[in-house]
Amino acid sequence: MRRQITILAAGLLVTATIAVRLLATAKTQTGPPPIVLSPVIPGDVNVTAQTVSIDAFQPDFDVYSWNTFIALNWPAGPGGNADPNQKIGQNGDNDTVWEHYRDVSDIFLPGGAKPTWNGPVNVPPACKSLNKGNLEVVIQIGKNLITPTVVSAASQPFNTGPLIDQNGVFTRFQILVNKTMFDYILANSLYSKAGQKAFTPPVNFTSGSIDNNGKTLVEGAIMVKTAWKVISTADKARFHSENVLVYTPASENPKYPARCTMQTAGLVGMHIGHKTQSAPQWLWSTFEHVDNVPTDAEVKSGQLKAQYSYYNPKCTACKVNQVPPRPWNPTKISTFHSQIVRMNQFNLPIYANSAAARNGAAQQLLLGVNPKSVWANYQLISTMWPTDPKQSFGAPAPTFLANTTLETYIQGTVPNVSSNCIECHNNATMTVPVASDFTYILQRAQ
Amino acid sequence: MSAALTGFQSSVLKPALDPVGLALEYYTFAVAQVGEPAMTSLLNAYRAIKTQPAQQIADTLLETSASSPSSQAQLAQSVVAMWYLGSWYVPGVVGGGGFAPPPLQVISAAAYTNGLVWRVMQSHPMGYSPFTFGYWSQAPAPLSSFGVNSGNGGGQ
Amino acid sequence: MSTPQYDVVIVGAGVSGNLIAKELGLAGKKVLILEAGLAVPDSREEYMENFYLALAKTPESPYPALAGRQGSKFNPVGELPDPASLPTPRATVLSLGKSPNISYLVQQEPFTELHPNDPNPQNPPADKGGNVRGLQFSSTFERNGGGTSWHWLGTSLRELENDIRMKTRYQHAEDWPVTYGELQELWALAEKEIGVAASTAQQEPLEVVGLVYPPGYQYPMQAIPMSMVDQAVSSAVAGLEVPGMLNEAGDGPAPGTQMYDVFVSATPQGRNSEPYDDRRVCAGNTNCIPICPIQAKWDPTVTLGKALDTDRVTVSYQSVAYNVEVNGKNATRVDYYEWSRDPNGNLTKVSKSVSGKIYVLACHAIENAKLLLLSNNWKGIANSSDQVGRNLMDHPLYLTWALAPQPIFGYRGPLATSGIESLRDGEFRKDRASFRMEIGNEGWNFSKGDPYTTTMDFIQGTNNANVNPPPGGSGQPVRLGGLNLVQQLNNIFTRQFRIGCMFDQSPLAENRVALDVDQATGKPNNVDGLGLPRPKVEYGLDPYTMEGFRMAAYVCSKVYERMGATEFTVNGVGGTGDFTYKGKNYHYYGAGHVVGTHRMGDNSKTSVVDASQRSHDVQNLWIVGSGSFPTVCTANPTLTLMALAFKSARSIIAALY
Repeated sequence: MRRQITILAAGLLVTATIAVRLLATAKTQTGPPPIVLSPVIPGDVNVTAQTVSIDAFQPDFDVYSWNTFIALNWPAGPGGNADPNQKIGQNGDNDTVWEHYRDVSDIFLPGGAKPTWNGPVNVPPACKSLNKGNLEVVIQIGKNLITPTVVSAASQPFNTGPLIDQNGVFTRFQILVNKTMFDYILANSLYSKAGQKAFTPPVNFTSGSIDNNGKTLVEGAIMVKTAWKVISTADKARFHSENVLVYTPASENPKYPARCTMQTAGLVGMHIGHKTQSAPQWLWSTFEHVDNVPTDAEVKSGQLKAQYSYYNPKCTACKVNQVPPRPWNPTKISTFHSQIVRMNQFNLPIYANSAAARNGAAQQLLLGVNPKSVWANYQLISTMWPTDPKQSFGAPAPTFLANTTLETYIQGTVPNVSSNCIECHNNATMTVPVASDFTYILQRAQ
Repeated sequence: MSAALTGFQSSVLKPALDPVGLALEYYTFAVAQVGEPAMTSLLNAYRAIKTQPAQQIADTLLETSASSPSSQAQLAQSVVAMWYLGSWYVPGVVGGGGFAPPPLQVISAAAYTNGLVWRVMQSHPMGYSPFTFGYWSQAPAPLSSFGVNSGNGGGQ
Repeated sequence: MSTPQYDVVIVGAGVSGNLIAKELGLAGKKVLILEAGLAVPDSREEYMENFYLALAKTPESPYPALAGRQGSKFNPVGELPDPASLPTPRATVLSLGKSPNISYLVQQEPFTELHPNDPNPQNPPADKGGNVRGLQFSSTFERNGGGTSWHWLGTSLRELENDIRMKTRYQHAEDWPVTYGELQELWALAEKEIGVAASTAQQEPLEVVGLVYPPGYQYPMQAIPMSMVDQAVSSAVAGLEVPGMLNEAGDGPAPGTQMYDVFVSATPQGRNSEPYDDRRVCAGNTNCIPICPIQAKWDPTVTLGKALDTDRVTVSYQSVAYNVEVNGKNATRVDYYEWSRDPNGNLTKVSKSVSGKIYVLACHAIENAKLLLLSNNWKGIANSSDQVGRNLMDHPLYLTWALAPQPIFGYRGPLATSGIESLRDGEFRKDRASFRMEIGNEGWNFSKGDPYTTTMDFIQGTNNANVNPPPGGSGQPVRLGGLNLVQQLNNIFTRQFRIGCMFDQSPLAENRVALDVDQATGKPNNVDGLGLPRPKVEYGLDPYTMEGFRMAAYVCSKVYERMGATEFTVNGVGGTGDFTYKGKNYHYYGAGHVVGTHRMGDNSKTSVVDASQRSHDVQNLWIVGSGSFPTVCTANPTLTLMALAFKSARSIIAALY
């Protein structure tokens, strides 16, 4: 029984921009807005909730996340923009809009050279003999960074370790940004160390926005971080996949040479960060493939699938969520296989409940386009958003959030250490110690 | 009541959008320590005067003018200490030898990182900085921006 | 004797051990590290949670629980386990000055511990020579993967030219058997390994005290900005001069003494001012001690990771070395206990041995000494000089604290970003200990346990922090609530600051670590959970060192005077670290800088190791770490001990060919 907590009850505090929209809308609908099959990226969250509480707001954010996921994964036409004449997954899988975004390794070039939005891809020498045509280069090793001369911006905090699949193969990563984000970097010369030094702070990427009816006005800066697993042809039916060049740059310590192989890689994890008017601390959406890992609850109750990408149900002796022992050599097949479980980081039931409800609705929609749609095999874990944008950290909800493929080893609930998109990204700077507006990519400048 | 006692806005202690849920956590903890009757007594004392200005409410419940506070006032003291320091200090146990009394327990990591005392000093909890490199070489934002209840409006 | 299993066996996974392992691994050598304590965790979640929940946020508070149980959530005050039950007990702040059933180090307990009800506590008397004996060695350490420097502050100062030649220059103590030029080359390596943020231009004014850089030297990263507190002190002391020696009354210069400029310098620090080495930039968490939540501050696990990356280095955790077997001039094996806990929590141990071509002891100045003394059936090895365990030194730390007249906003930024380094050298070093002054950014956290003490003072109406005296001098301290409480606390906390003075204390043969063994019976008096005798410590201060305290108190009062600040320093009597000198009471803390117990030198009769930290007596044994320092000098030791480790690594690699 829960007592009415009058003594500690508060007046209603509503964040400014959301409040304006809330009062302005004359909606009578109940529940969040619908998830739609649309190639239009939401410019911001559309809050239709009639009461001010996390329970009421979270579904609106999760809808935003799914609409963003669908729009980003929409089939790309020639030129890389969404093809309005196709539907997502109508042929099972499809080349996506975000895959035509600019990869960070093509933005932060050697010598701080000026990048282009859609010039040729920076193909590493080790890959040149393999690069027949315009293959994608998926280059990150483990969770560490790539180009030898630049400090990693995408490494896990504390450089904890790589994620190794059940075949002993390292998981690979990629970071891309949309044109809005690219344009800001280009216009302000933030693609080079010299340019960053000369820049007058603050770094302030373009914010997305919507009108009072929830229609996108501006697409804000978007960064996408994806995790890939090498898959077999048989797996292609279940994954969004691409033929890629899997590149490992040479390393001094641990010592191994550069290596490049052509593989079929399946998408296992996707982070979407979007700067919007309602969220100066950005909105953070994270998706995983449904075959990745079991949850802690599923392991405890024995409700396991036959197979996972990062968990072996038969290995009862395997310690869970352990970092692979060093040295980490992505050019070799590893005898160590990561045994990963999704831990519960949520202190309120709404986060899991809302994600589950939105996943169900989205998957139904996607299967309605094509029962073989690979996109129905993806699930939203949650959306992190600032409940009080006036504070530095923004008082994020949920208080912790991790993607098991991207923040594998910090799935706890310890403030300032366990995975929290906003808390960690708040520490991000450029190559000079100037805050970089919640992105680590600017650290890669040469 | 806690807003009046602590001098902070109730929207800081229990915002409408409340990802941490500290108010409930604290209430539950306090009741477990002192029992519902004692807590209810204190709340009733608050309710009787809740339309008064916040400072007056604080001074009344904490009996700041009395030469020695009643056990109810000592409970109010522990509530203030809980919000400020994130720890439970047993009512009536005072410090000595130049130091504060040892708390019974830090209520939780979230209690520690949300302690109000760090806002009072216009800073952040040691071990939990939301600020960025170099902030320490400049003066902090004014105290009023840290959620202090500078108005005199009735406490909640 | 069969072929050694490893090229090198290293005891201890701390600063020196990890650095040497890395260098050896990069050179293709096969290395085993025996680490007494628990493994480095996969993330620092467990350690940070320990910290958040600790009632007393001491340096040891994040690290593996005192009870030896992994992942213990609470470190309660007052429920400290008996070191006799632990496999890797160590000195901790909470156990300081207590009896051996709480304190790992067996040493003299202070008066207040022995006579808790005596209303007139006393400090130990001085002897005929003016020395005060029977004091408590107050520095603590860790025994786990990564070691004590998990909780170093990050201060990365270089020593001064005269620091390493005290005997030649000032006829006091000892010279180091290395040259400044050699150290400059080695410091550069250490600064790169750690990632030190500083600017040589900012350090230039310190040339006057003998801090000299090679021309054109650049630190790896730009300097860390000075805090508001630093700026307030710095502007106030402009033009201040203090004497080298005080007059007898202690209120002015001794006749004929030289005067020295007082100025503030930014501190070179081992924390990131740019993204460096895959680690984030400092966000000013103000928590360097005991743990940086985001690893912007370097710690030895960074170097350990690189050592493991060489694929030549293995670490065996929970492996406590207890004997280094020596045959003539050669070490032939290390015996160790591999300990674990059974499902019921009972401690079990298995004795094992391992051999290498070369052995390196790197497990801390106290544990190194203990291991040397334990070896050869407790008769000791590598000790023809009889110096093992002797010359135990610290930087005794004298804390003063004050309230500035206006807010200067402490509790922000790294724990210390500047200091007064300009008094570290001068003619006075013939007669008294020199010191550096660390300006603290953490208000009265160290001095008075604030903000807890003052907050509870104003809530409960007590005056433990001395800022809530009864109004008008009589009656009771005030009690506040609501906005009144906010404003009063704000007024106080924003003006709090402190200065810590760290002394170049004399090496004394009688300051020593020995085994706690009854000489008559040969039986141990106190053991740890593995049955090993514990270290017995004898410690005291000589007049040379104590005269330094007298000067430090004077300088601090002058600084506060210039600032218009009100000093609140109070020194107790009869407790741990309390002593009297020339009629005044002082208190020292341990700085965590433990040095001297296996000092280096060219003369094998008076030193334990040579300039490469190689034992004079056992040719394939290196004994490394700050225990090799012949003097504690005036800089925090970590940078220099890592510099020396680079030198040791070179000599080990050369010896392996």
